[in-house]
Amino acid sequence: MSRTLTRREWLAGSAGTALLTGCGEERPIVPSIVSIVRAPVYDQRIYETVRRMVEEHRLEVRGRHVVLKPNLVEFEPESSINTHPLLVHAALEAFRGIGAASVRIAEGPGHRRNTLDLADAAGYFRTVPRFEDIFVDLNLDDVTRVRPARQFSRLGALYLPNTALVADLLVSMPKMKTHHWTGATLAMKHLFGVVPGGIYGWPKNVLHWAGIDEAIADLHAAFPRQFAIVDGIVGMEGNGPIQGTPKPVGVLVAGRDGAAVDATCCRIMRIEPLKIVHLRLASGGESQITEQNIRQIGESLSAVATPFELIPEFQSLRMENS
Amino acid sequence: MTIGTLASKQNRDGGWPYVRGSSWTEPTAYAVLALLAAGETEPAQRGLRWILATGRPDGGWPPQAGVDQSTWVTALVALLPPEQLGARAHARAIAWLLETTGRESTLTYRLREWLLGNPRPPEQEFPGWPWIPEAAAWVGPTSLAVLALDKEYRRRPSPAVRERIDSGRRFLLARMCREGGWNHGSVRALGYESFPYPETTGMALAALRGDRSPGTERGLAVARRFLEECRSADALNWLRLGLLAHGQLPAGYCHPLEIADRTLPDTSLGLLVAEAEKGRDFFLA
Repeated sequence: MSRTLTRREWLAGSAGTALLTGCGEERPIVPSIVSIVRAPVYDQRIYETVRRMVEEHRLEVRGRHVVLKPNLVEFEPESSINTHPLLVHAALEAFRGIGAASVRIAEGPGHRRNTLDLADAAGYFRTVPRFEDIFVDLNLDDVTRVRPARQFSRLGALYLPNTALVADLLVSMPKMKTHHWTGATLAMKHLFGVVPGGIYGWPKNVLHWAGIDEAIADLHAAFPRQFAIVDGIVGMEGNGPIQGTPKPVGVLVAGRDGAAVDATCCRIMRIEPLKIVHLRLASGGESQITEQNIRQIGESLSAVATPFELIPEFQSLRMENS
Repeated sequence: MTIGTLASKQNRDGGWPYVRGSSWTEPTAYAVLALLAAGETEPAQRGLRWILATGRPDGGWPPQAGVDQSTWVTALVALLPPEQLGARAHARAIAWLLETTGRESTLTYRLREWLLGNPRPPEQEFPGWPWIPEAAAWVGPTSLAVLALDKEYRRRPSPAVRERIDSGRRFLLARMCREGGWNHGSVRALGYESFPYPETTGMALAALRGDRSPGTERGLAVARRFLEECRSADALNWLRLGLLAHGQLPAGYCHPLEIADRTLPDTSLGLLVAEAEKGRDFFLA
């Protein structure tokens, strides 16, 4: 069963996102809008699916600069490690279609230094025309030192890539995966990829020492103009984000509020979002990401939820009755 | 790409970018090494001036001008000939390397772990080098630091340098993957085995020059396999350097023409590897 967004719901959700950004004051919670869309396989139908999904969120990108940030991790195109290039190309076409002045693809892998080789192996050169002209390796981009609007870790100021900082809209495009340190890696954890390896190394180990969950929350606060599209067509379960096993879910999950998107993904994965530390930190407590405070559109959670295998260390994250 | 093309990519400030844009220390250091090897002194001198201008008061180098932190790229600067870089700047780079360890090897960290009753993992017995101070040591920066110190030791032997080379090599051997070869750092995480990468395997083998241990032999076997399979210029450069360091690069090996250089360091390193194959190894002199 699916439902679409009314004008009233969209206005309420947009206002909620704006009100909740960067402040610690107590105020009424206006639900964030998160859409769940079925997409059973990576094929040509994905272009229409993504176009409709992006249009439904009524993003104001006409004449603006959009940066799509996929998840590029390893040289294994047949696995479910990397965000599928067809999805990224579909998003590129969708944002161009709604009038974006420019759409770039940018990523800073945390493990492998040879980013373009990695993108080539993952199929991006074959799928995205003139890929090399529109791609920015965030590990090697020029940087600016910034202090996130809200800070949870001991990192203080961070050097961050200019391409991501100046984007009018940063589109986080992670895979729906489990993660062996944080439980799940979705739109928020995915922002580790904007931290420049050229400054901090491969992996970006300073973030681990600063506290992974706290650093994730810092980065989430550093990029207030975000949208998320999570690739859950085939996710990864078990020992993610690299050595896990493919998990077909057949969905895309999208929204402006990364914490709400991630909480929704967790519920699809049958992981209790309130037990994910960085989600609680970034959402300023529990209430913002409770199910009743997220306005779900499209497919219902119950229609698409499927339990992801969890490693023994994270069995306690499992939602009850899963 | 030829040495002339490399020279043509030099920024007006004297440094080199990774691909295009601002100058960074890593591409500049490799470009200067490649240009010096080719006898192209004028652009190399301009590059050296850029490097000297970006050095930090603590003796190290930042990855990019304006970044207020010395990092692993100091090892690349230390690979430059002191007679070209300047003896004082070179000595300060070596001193910075000698003083730098991964955070897990610092007295403060070890004391804290001891007070908490946490046993020291075997792979933390020997200090390596981090990408950036205040972080843990990893295979990549440790390999580069060992290579820089080994070059220094050949020029000017000293017990302090010898000690860090030896401990760095032990660090690498302790971090070898079970199947041979090297990942970035940990042999395993949460009980799961790490698998080796071509580029880090090549780097570690280059740093383990002269080591005849069974571990190195297993690493060489993995490197020979990667050499057949790998499709990355960066990784192939390091695999060739690693195998060359042990006299194991297959005779008549040709770099596949269809594998493109993605960055200027790929190009510089490729030119340096070609020189090393002719017996002029920039890691040695």
